[in-house]
Amino acid sequence: MLETEELSKAFKGKTVVEGVSLYLEKGESVGLLGPNGAGKSTTISMISSLMKPTSGEVLLHGENVIKNPGKIRKVLGVVPQDIALYQELTAYENLKFFGRIYGLKGQMLTEKIKEVFSLVGLTDRQGDILNTFSGGMKRRVNIAAALLHDPEILIMDEPTVGIDPQSRSYILDMIRELNLQKGITVLYTSHYMEEVERLCDRVYIMDHGKIISSGTKEELKSILSGEETILMELDRAYPEMEKEFQQLDSIRQVIETEKGLKLISVKGSRLLSSLFQIADRHEAQVTNVNIQEPSLEDVFLHLTGRKLRD
Amino acid sequence: MKSIFILQLQRFRRKPLLVVSFFVLTLFFVFFLGGNDTGDKITIQSYAGDNTTQEQADYWIQLLNASESFEFVLVEEEEARNSIVQGDRNMALEIRDDDYRMLVAVDEQSYQIAANYIQQVFTEELRLAAAEAAVEEENIRAAIAEERISPVLALNMETINGESSGFVYDENLQALFGMTLFFSIYTIIFSLSNVAEEKRDGTWNRLIVSPLQKWQVYAGHVAYCFLVGYLQIILIFIFFKYMLGFQIEAHFGILMIIVACFTFTIVSVGMLLIGLVTSPQQLQAVIPITATAMAMLGGAFWPVEIVTNEVIVMLSKVMPMYYGMEALKGAALLNQSLGEITGALSILVLMGVITMGIGINLMERRA
Ligand SMILES: Nc1ncnc2c1ncn2[C@@H]1O[C@H](COP(=O)(O)OP(=O)(O)O)[C@@H](O)[C@H]1O
Ligand SMILES: [Mg+2]
Repeated sequence: MLETEELSKAFKGKTVVEGVSLYLEKGESVGLLGPNGAGKSTTISMISSLMKPTSGEVLLHGENVIKNPGKIRKVLGVVPQDIALYQELTAYENLKFFGRIYGLKGQMLTEKIKEVFSLVGLTDRQGDILNTFSGGMKRRVNIAAALLHDPEILIMDEPTVGIDPQSRSYILDMIRELNLQKGITVLYTSHYMEEVERLCDRVYIMDHGKIISSGTKEELKSILSGEETILMELDRAYPEMEKEFQQLDSIRQVIETEKGLKLISVKGSRLLSSLFQIADRHEAQVTNVNIQEPSLEDVFLHLTGRKLRD
Repeated sequence: MKSIFILQLQRFRRKPLLVVSFFVLTLFFVFFLGGNDTGDKITIQSYAGDNTTQEQADYWIQLLNASESFEFVLVEEEEARNSIVQGDRNMALEIRDDDYRMLVAVDEQSYQIAANYIQQVFTEELRLAAAEAAVEEENIRAAIAEERISPVLALNMETINGESSGFVYDENLQALFGMTLFFSIYTIIFSLSNVAEEKRDGTWNRLIVSPLQKWQVYAGHVAYCFLVGYLQIILIFIFFKYMLGFQIEAHFGILMIIVACFTFTIVSVGMLLIGLVTSPQQLQAVIPITATAMAMLGGAFWPVEIVTNEVIVMLSKVMPMYYGMEALKGAALLNQSLGEITGALSILVLMGVITMGIGINLMERRA
């Protein structure tokens, strides 16, 4: 229902988004994954008619909406990356205002506000001034303000940045519910791989202004189908042992993690016994071993040679 | 547009302090700078002399009290004499039916001025009475009063652009108009900084991606700032005219039209500033500079007529403040009609349209 064709944007000659083509089918939940500065927000700004692209097109039901954005504005709910609300007003006053600018009024408006507050779980705080809210609560109001007019498509730009795990979990569940129960099409932008993995059916991976890969989660991971990940938890770091691991033929990469090591290995190479032997020799204390399917994070690492977050 | 407007009112209700403080500052400064004529009048106790009736004395008192500097009160002779003996007062006036006498303790300056004034009033009135008796015509007083309004000889000053305008100066009105317009600039442009804040906080983008038209967003803000500035000025005028009895002779409707034009222009200047700055902080730094410069050059602090430097006089001609002050003073002091101040008002509106245009253009280009 919504697609972009070769969207590009340059600021003062510097290209920050280049040839981005993506599409959203009705009812889908699509992720736009990429590190900070990849050009995600710029892409979303162009889709939501905030910014004119330097070149390329945005099509809604096959109709170009760049020149005539009225149509897309009505069906789009946009959750900006920053908390874009009036801090000195109450949550209720904020929602009332945003409802009104989408043309809601009277009974209809009151009911929508009530419904949305209950959806984001803030019914008993709606009369409070926004300034008194925690970061997580503000984020929820930030999302609520984009839901009042029953958008067909919800575009969210990193809606969980900088909040506690409970709030984040709550928000993710809420978005999933909107997508599954109400059939709202979601475009979810994030640099958190776990979020996109949990929430989205299909993913675009973006880096340096370009889409470097796309597909369903399974398709993307099949890029790494020949690999598996072994997580080895250790009581401390063993640099000598790491070097020895690296020399093994069937190990492609050794990455230090907080708790120990992450080993990317050729799938089915039955490494475990040799790993334990080496560990024994270094008198390393192995507290846990876990073999995993590759994650999107691993896909990104594979594609760019970098982690999503540095 | 309406929702944007209402939103600003809601925000004002939560943070009224800034605007209210400019309002209070205006009141304070007008009090302070205006010639405080009610407090400063010298009271002269007067009493009716022998063979003089109470009515005759009252009549004279009423004539004498036309003065800006003296206040004559009728008391018993006993009381007036006692005041002088006890040193409470320096002088007293004995009123007779066609003459007067002054009791004086010390011959000092205030006595000289009072004596001059009293003599003038008596002489004039007695002449008028004599003329009336001789001509036996009732409305000779009205005829003379008429002559006074359009005298044969009047002091005129040529302004740069060749119009002649009487240079009339009234300390009270200069302070009232100058300070009110000066502080209204603060109120208006600080209110307009809501726009800069919305851009900083991202709510502006939310408005843009909504079905609202962009002009509605601008119009909502402009309407709000206009209203706040307009109400501030009008309320202050009402306060000083009706509560403190300032002599604003002009029809209040004319004042309201002038204020509307001026407010519109300042809102536009504010839009231009917002187009030039990149953050609310910058705007807050620029506002006092702009307001003070416009006020100084435009004649809010002192009349432009006393400025001799040609460059400054030229500069004053590009300040909206100048035309606002000219129009207000023209209406209030010279009793000019709406037609006579149309020139100044047109320039104001033209300036407003141009600055608003440039301001919005700058903002849009940056977006
Ligand atoms: N208005 C702008 N002017 C100039 N450069 C910009 C502007 N907005 C974004 N950029 C640049 O474009 C790149 C992509 O930014 P952005 O789209 O915000 O990335 P993301 O949302 O993926 O973190 C960044 O390098 C950023 O500095
Ligand atoms: Mg971003």
